[in-house]
Amino acid sequence: MSKNIIVNWVSDYTDELYRWALHKTSSAVIAEDLVQETFLVAVEKVEHFRGDSSPKTWLFSILNFKIIDYYREKFDKPVSFDGNSLETFFDENGDWRADKRPNKWNEADAHLLDDVEFQAVLKKCLDALPEKWSLSMKLKYLSEKSSDEICHELGILPTNFWQIVHRAKLQLRTCIQKNWFDK
Amino acid sequence: MKKLMNILFLSCLKATELIEKKLRFKLSFSEKIRLVMHKSMCEACTNYEKQSLFIDTLLDSTKNNAEHSTEDLKKNIADKMLEDKT
Repeated sequence: MSKNIIVNWVSDYTDELYRWALHKTSSAVIAEDLVQETFLVAVEKVEHFRGDSSPKTWLFSILNFKIIDYYREKFDKPVSFDGNSLETFFDENGDWRADKRPNKWNEADAHLLDDVEFQAVLKKCLDALPEKWSLSMKLKYLSEKSSDEICHELGILPTNFWQIVHRAKLQLRTCIQKNWFDK
Repeated sequence: MKKLMNILFLSCLKATELIEKKLRFKLSFSEKIRLVMHKSMCEACTNYEKQSLFIDTLLDSTKNNAEHSTEDLKKNIADKMLEDKT
């Protein structure tokens, strides 16, 4: 198969592949890398492409493997409770520490979603999260399959997963309260 | 009173953990009961649950994935493909 045909695939399918990768990872940078890697694999393995499926199907199957690998790699190690970050929020009895206690928010204020300043605070708080944690928040996979299925597919323990989400959410919530609602 | 509450029903730490677990997975029957009891006595964790849900909504709706042009991406890929395999 001529390489020019594959170059045609690049113009034909990049948009769709990119959009899918973006949807799955919420990161433009990661999505671009994954799409790029997909085409590089396609070039290497082009002899294996028999044409029983369409090029688009084949490329998507490569991309989906890449996406799964990406998440597997991130969640591979068991959660190391880095200096037990939970101590930041709770005392030895498991009670809220005074300065971390959730106050009432006026989140019913639907305008917040459109408020540019609020969005900036949200972004700042998200960026402050360790990568694995912010990744767990973004795991869009969850909207399409049951979380049990996802964890199974990624080879991670549900316990590991929601413990990461727990820590991320605690930090995110505190950050938002401190930088918006308490002011 | 607090200690008793923790023994019977859950600490706030455990309660918040279950709140997150509940958002994505199933709680066992006993976990459900204990969480409900804890929240009925704990305003902080009741607030936490509302806020956690709210954050999830924010993240779902935040289309911070502004679609920018893929032209550069396509060019980069094509260049890379043509350059190394000859």
